[in-house]
Amino acid sequence: MKHSAAVEPTMVQKKRSKKELRKQYITAYFFLLPWLIGFLGLILGPMISSLYLSFTRFDLLNTPEWIGLANYQELFQDKRFVASAKVTLTFVFIAVPTQLIAALLVAVLLNKKMLGVGFYRTTYYLPSLLGGSVAIAILWKNLFEIDGLVNQVLAYFNVSGQGWISHPDYALGTIIILATWQFGASMVIFLAGLKQIPKELYEAASVDGGTKIQTFFRVTLPLLSPVIFFNLVIELIKSIQIFTSAFIISEGTGGPINSTLFYTLYLYQKGFTHFEMGYASAMAWVLVFVLGTMTLCIFFSSKYWVHYEDGGKL
Amino acid sequence: MKKFYLLFILTFMMTVVIACSSDSSNGEASSDDNTGNENTTEGSNEEGNEDAITLRVAWWGGQERHDRTLEVIEMYEEQNPNITIKAEYSGFDGYFDKLNTQLAAGNAPDIIQFGGNLNDFVYRDVILPLDDYVGNELDISLHSQSMLDSATFDGSLYGVTLGTTAWGILLNKTLFEEAGVQMPSKEWTWEDFKDITPELTENLDGTYGTADFNEDGFGVFLAQRDKFTYLDGEIGFEAQDVKDWFNLWKDLRDSGGAAIPEVQVSASQTPEQSLIVQRDVAIESIASNQLGAYSGATEDEFEIYPYPYNSETGKNGVSLRPSQYFAGYSETEHPEEVAKFLDFFVNNKEATEVLGNDRGAPVNSEVVKNLIDQASELDQQVYAYIDLVNETSDAPYIPNLPGYNENTQLFKETEELIYFEQETVDEASEAYYDELLQNIEKYRDEE
Repeated sequence: MKHSAAVEPTMVQKKRSKKELRKQYITAYFFLLPWLIGFLGLILGPMISSLYLSFTRFDLLNTPEWIGLANYQELFQDKRFVASAKVTLTFVFIAVPTQLIAALLVAVLLNKKMLGVGFYRTTYYLPSLLGGSVAIAILWKNLFEIDGLVNQVLAYFNVSGQGWISHPDYALGTIIILATWQFGASMVIFLAGLKQIPKELYEAASVDGGTKIQTFFRVTLPLLSPVIFFNLVIELIKSIQIFTSAFIISEGTGGPINSTLFYTLYLYQKGFTHFEMGYASAMAWVLVFVLGTMTLCIFFSSKYWVHYEDGGKL
Repeated sequence: MKKFYLLFILTFMMTVVIACSSDSSNGEASSDDNTGNENTTEGSNEEGNEDAITLRVAWWGGQERHDRTLEVIEMYEEQNPNITIKAEYSGFDGYFDKLNTQLAAGNAPDIIQFGGNLNDFVYRDVILPLDDYVGNELDISLHSQSMLDSATFDGSLYGVTLGTTAWGILLNKTLFEEAGVQMPSKEWTWEDFKDITPELTENLDGTYGTADFNEDGFGVFLAQRDKFTYLDGEIGFEAQDVKDWFNLWKDLRDSGGAAIPEVQVSASQTPEQSLIVQRDVAIESIASNQLGAYSGATEDEFEIYPYPYNSETGKNGVSLRPSQYFAGYSETEHPEEVAKFLDFFVNNKEATEVLGNDRGAPVNSEVVKNLIDQASELDQQVYAYIDLVNETSDAPYIPNLPGYNENTQLFKETEELIYFEQETVDEASEAYYDELLQNIEKYRDEE
């Protein structure tokens, strides 16, 4: 794809006059306009102003006051900042792998030809369409409340349950389960990846006497690694920015005892309830930096574990 | 063929554009639209009628308050056909987050309900001073002086007090009967309280004696010891007071009288979801004006009590305090209309009859007289309680700590650290006290 897109215009260039070419560019930008306006006005503009604000004390209403690096220095002495970073990293390191494994396993199961497979695929995909919504977060809250459905079912088996979302040891767990439950989007991408694996390889493997498990680890996984790579990056970026479910379930407090104080939630509190928008902006830029570093690490490590069928030449 | 496609795409785009535009105009017409549409767009749309004015009014509350307030708004619109009022109402959770965002974006509602945190906003210069309208659009001649004082900062009046209230203890009479526990005398002490609550827990299935009285209770607790949280730039208590308060509650939990942590943590500020209405507890601390909302949300019978007395000082510590204010937004385009609406809301006979004492006993003396005459049994109870506090009050009114949001969160976090035994009462109390001093210092700098 990349290849052809880079070559074609140069060939066209020779044939057509400059005037025509300019016209083409104008048309192209015209069609890009809606996106461009959105990008400049809603992404790039706010990003630049937040970078500026991160060096100021800004209470939302009065003019920002330049304080240099003070916000960044304060960050690392703030115990709630440290707590929120811990909570978020714990979440990312548990939720992302479990979600990807669940997605992969279900994708492998649903890759078979069987009756009603379309129905199952839709069903398993559904949570990831709904999962980010406020309604599901409220549902989750009611499920795991002290007199919620989960405990009622447990009581049926004579197990007395905890107040899952109101106990600091368990609250994060319920949000991890909620995130894992939304594996559908990665699953669909895995499914597409599985379909791309040539059948001949499986035939060859079975001719050589490979067991199902061997085939999975020696054929499926290596050939699926580009898709795993893609899903990993996407899920990492998504998970580290988790907000809605934590906000709703803890009613915006990040409690009990900051056990669900996700990074973005604390950022929101700082900005909008404590009136410290400069500090919040500094937090946002630290997040950008950390997330960027993590993503780069995955990219660099990819050459050791991601295998492209064509040798990765593209 | 190409032309056909072009035609098709153009037609499609037109349809989309038309569909979108008609959609948004529908949105603007709906009266409870919550997305902050500017008055200006409305005004220009209705150029035909020059005086057409839209005011946006924001408040938080339970269903009861929403119904009553909306009814008054309708009355006002009927009497002032050129005024359209857009109501923006919600529960308490998230109300101030949204308001802060609107203030930062410069499109806050024209009339905004505040609580004891009005001071935080006055210092941020977003509140309309009402001095120019007093005596003209806004009549405050019959308002109680102490309530006017509470909304006066640096000599200017910034809001009208919507009601007088006082902290009180709500007892679920029905649950007391079910538990076979006698209702205490109204001059009960903390010792009585410690005896009664474990008894309730023991005799009731799935209900605990009492909910934690939280930060509001701490203020009353201090007043009973002749201390206060923060007044005129001075902090009025020591770390030892914090320890004593948290130890009191630790003992209550240990004795089984107070709700277990998991239940307490899930407590809600909204009457309908509160622990006492949900029958998780039999006793809860509320503001007296909330009695109607709490009673209305359940079949159970509630009775309001004063705080348990401190048997050593003999003090009760409860004082009359403003419940909420309506204030104008400093950038409003129609300040006179704002003042007119505020006047209607607190002084008009019919309007105040509809509002009752949902936001507390009105501050206009004539209005109160009129209301007491026709009050229901439940309302009589509230007025009687306010009267009682007024007569027996042994404590001054103490406004909220500056930096309300941050400090309230700190208090809650400290409670939870103790609930789940992450820190001892002493450690947590001292950490709380230190951080509180720091926060106050920070806000003092800003002022």
